[in-house]
Amino acid sequence: MKPPAIELRRLTRRLPSGGRDLTILDGIDLTIDAGEFVAVLGPSGSGKSTLLALMAGLDRPTEGEVLLDGEPIQALSEDALALIRRRKIGFVFQSFQLLGNLTARENILLPLELNGRKDAGARADRLLEMVELSDRGHHYPSQLSGGEQQRVALARAFGPEPSILLADEPTGNLDSNTGKLVLERLAELRREHGTTMVLVTHDEQVGALAGRQIRLRDGRLDRDAAREEVLT
Amino acid sequence: MNGSLYLRYLTRELRGSAGRLVFFVLCLAVGVAAVIAVAGLSDGMERGLRSKARELLAADLAVESRRPLPAELDGILADLGPATERVDLKEFVSVVAADGGSQPGKSRLAELKVVAPPYPFYGELELEPAGVLHDLLDARSVVVAQGMLEPMGLAIGDALRVGGESFVIAGAVLSEPDKVNISFTSVAPRVFLSQAGVDRTGLEATGSRIKYRALVRLPGTDADGVRAAARQVRLQLPDVEYMKVETYAEAQPGLRRGLERAERFLSLVALLSLLVGGLGVGQTVRAWLQSRMDSIAILKCLGLRPREILALYLGQTVLLGLAGSVIGAVVAVGLQSLAPAFLTRVFPTYVIEVWQPFAILRGVLLGVGVALLFSLPPLLTVRRVPPAFVFRRDAAPLPVSPALRYGVGGVLLAGLFVTALLQSGSWLLAAQFTGGLLASGVVLALGAWLTARLVAGAPRSFSKVWLRHGLAALARPGAGTLGAIVALGLGVVVVLTMYLIETRLGGQLNADLPDDAPTAFMVDIQPSQWDGVEGLLNDNGALDITSVPMVNSRLVSVDGVGVESLVEQIPKDEPRNRWVLTREQRLTYQADLPESNEILRGKWFSDESLPEVSVEREFAEDMGADVGSVLVFDVQGVPITLHVTSIREVDWESFAVNFFLLVEPGVLEEAPQFLVATARFPDGNEQKMQDVLAADFPNVTVIQVRQVLDRIVEVLGQAGLGVQLLGAFTVIAGILILGGVVSAGTIRRGREVALLKAIGMTRSGVVSVYTVEYGLIGLVAGAIGALGGTLLSWAILVYWMNVPWTWATPAPWVAVIGTVVLAVAAGIGASLRALGRRPVEVLREN
Repeated sequence: MKPPAIELRRLTRRLPSGGRDLTILDGIDLTIDAGEFVAVLGPSGSGKSTLLALMAGLDRPTEGEVLLDGEPIQALSEDALALIRRRKIGFVFQSFQLLGNLTARENILLPLELNGRKDAGARADRLLEMVELSDRGHHYPSQLSGGEQQRVALARAFGPEPSILLADEPTGNLDSNTGKLVLERLAELRREHGTTMVLVTHDEQVGALAGRQIRLRDGRLDRDAAREEVLT
Repeated sequence: MNGSLYLRYLTRELRGSAGRLVFFVLCLAVGVAAVIAVAGLSDGMERGLRSKARELLAADLAVESRRPLPAELDGILADLGPATERVDLKEFVSVVAADGGSQPGKSRLAELKVVAPPYPFYGELELEPAGVLHDLLDARSVVVAQGMLEPMGLAIGDALRVGGESFVIAGAVLSEPDKVNISFTSVAPRVFLSQAGVDRTGLEATGSRIKYRALVRLPGTDADGVRAAARQVRLQLPDVEYMKVETYAEAQPGLRRGLERAERFLSLVALLSLLVGGLGVGQTVRAWLQSRMDSIAILKCLGLRPREILALYLGQTVLLGLAGSVIGAVVAVGLQSLAPAFLTRVFPTYVIEVWQPFAILRGVLLGVGVALLFSLPPLLTVRRVPPAFVFRRDAAPLPVSPALRYGVGGVLLAGLFVTALLQSGSWLLAAQFTGGLLASGVVLALGAWLTARLVAGAPRSFSKVWLRHGLAALARPGAGTLGAIVALGLGVVVVLTMYLIETRLGGQLNADLPDDAPTAFMVDIQPSQWDGVEGLLNDNGALDITSVPMVNSRLVSVDGVGVESLVEQIPKDEPRNRWVLTREQRLTYQADLPESNEILRGKWFSDESLPEVSVEREFAEDMGADVGSVLVFDVQGVPITLHVTSIREVDWESFAVNFFLLVEPGVLEEAPQFLVATARFPDGNEQKMQDVLAADFPNVTVIQVRQVLDRIVEVLGQAGLGVQLLGAFTVIAGILILGGVVSAGTIRRGREVALLKAIGMTRSGVVSVYTVEYGLIGLVAGAIGALGGTLLSWAILVYWMNVPWTWATPAPWVAVIGTVVLAVAAGIGASLRALGRRPVEVLREN
């Protein structure tokens, strides 16, 4: 049987703060199957972004395990983690996080080139077309609007066809119309590529787009939500 | 990441950092220019001395003596080969004068050179009118240095009196290939004359300081052959230990030795300015990486491995290092090509070869190396950037293993040592240099740490909000105070040390003579002339007239060991020792101990049974004699045995006539001798006196003390120009660093200014906060730097250069105040942009 795309076991993350430890995540168990679209909901400070960072090996758990495709990653070196991200994971961030010294097209090219794709150039052009920015590929991020920047970020994230896509409040910095457009494009790309997606949001409407909703409160999975989940 | 992708991102990453990169490149260019200019110029001189060695000697081989050359030389030279040619020269100083008719004409000291064809064997004498020297010279004509004509109001065709005889100036010399005698006594311009000419003057009979020189040409002989010939001469020529046998193959060993010493010192000074630039580079890289934290985190998210990112930034450092170094090299080549014009009085500049590709290559590599070295510690932060930074600004930095951190420190230190070794060529100097830098860095770091601690612990009860905030800003964690103070402080140490040494050396020479010091010396006065000379001196207002007899001699043995074997025992690199033994020894005799002398050991002439001699301390050490030693001298063919009964310390700065060797009266009275006289002219009548003496006693040589000192100041000024220039380089690098230190905080600064303004602080209030913060950084760095610089220059002057120390300089205070002012100006300058923006723009960005 194919292992789950993401599996979290008793995942705990504590941070030192003002001389004592602050528990951000507390014993999270969660399994996400390949191709699933999961929304992580919760108020700010509930630990949503930390959860995402741990899933991608951007941060290390204090206790517990993170398994990607059945392989534990928490003990891997920074280099090995980087290679896993390169091959498997795409990101979309609230603040876009484009590289300011690269043009839109170069931003999309970077992960493709890192993966050694021979068709990098052609694929970047196709992705630009898909996010309707063909004529803006030579612009720098600072010359693009917020919505345009986020579409470039989407194209960059889907470029190397990652098996997992992690999105952190992708519409948080956009007005509602633009946000809607970006979400539509995101959903479209996910469907097209069959990507496992974890979307972090505090917006119930956005969360409703996902196949499953998980709620975080004070670093724990909200029991009511979990029960709901079991019942459905 | 493959090679082409790497290169692509290398160049893409450089975009958008122009301002910072310009700073990086400038910091480095300044230091590299200094390093290459020094290395290139000294290589150029050294190579020139070698490639033009024949021209500089005007011969293949030369034999020089203070006495007429032995007759045996002819036979020895004949044995070297049938084609061997010889020409003899004589050189000595004498006063020459314009023909003033019935009045004494204007006189001056000149360096006479008696030549015969076919001098010079090699090289060209440039003359006006163009032609051959010997066509212009006869028994009644001279050829003089071009530079001497105008000051004496003379022109070609006019008359010049030499040794009381009138000569016609038949031409002027524009350049002389073998004029390399760069001593302070060679102040005098050249006058060429023929043997027949000098015979008319009778100067050869009365001159006590004639240099006899045989130039030899060995046609068709290579360097090895010439060396072998020199060996032959040294082996066969009697009394050769008192003579100098030189070959073009050795290429001016004395000059090259001096050059090497100067190069060592200047190379380290240049290295300092490069290292100060390196500090600036380090600061720039730190700031640059801080502004790239987001990019680095994103790259890590996208799957770039930490070492790939490190390679990316290392590659950029190398690229920028190369750019800075190449610009520095271009500046250096420009400087080098200007240098000969400033060195005409201290070096035969026609030999300098400006284009020195090896020095350039070495300088460029050194520049890149220093850039890498100083970038290493900040580059470590690349590893520390947490990828989770993309989610959370406060994400904790990744840990770096202590081994790596200490490793980088070790590499930095080792790198400093290697660069110092490369520059100085001496393990000891390199170790001292690195140790000194390390010690200064540690003291500065301690000072910075202590300041932060004191400020953090100080009560924050000031009523002024800007004072409270300024102090708080300095003490907050991660303020970068330590790096800023260390970098700035080291800059101050270097700049101040250079300045203090330079001004002290110049100041010592420019200082007025002691009030009672003689202002003129007169040598070669024949005993029969003394009454006349003394009368003239009295008539012209001279005071404190003294005269002492002088007898020329050679040292034959010390405690029964012949000078020849003593010389053989001397290591090659101690030329002074040899000089002490083989010089023309000038003996005097007098009954009383001179005023500026003090007996250290033994007793002043007290044993009636022995002929006694008193020896100056350092001279005695160098010749290996002490109280009880027996010295034998050859006084113009007569051996005289003297017993050392006292060792004296001499205060040479008194400017009185002093002797290494003082003989008891009753021993030398019958020997051929002449008088040396001193006098003081309170009315500045030295020149008039010289003019009168030149007319009445043309064989008497007058040396005007002020003129000689002025000449020394001039020569040192030319040599010191290089040091000043290097000092200026260091100052520029220091100012650049200050800018770098400040701009390192620009991002933080922008956010702070916005916040302070958002909570209601006025712009002048913000400026006050920064004035306190940067003023304090400047004060601590300036104070420790000034103290360090003062101590360092004191140690160098007193222990290395034997120059007495004086506190009478405001420079350290100026350094402290200057550093404060510069730091505040730079701090506010860097905040101007943030001050001018609306707070919301800045806050929205973050």
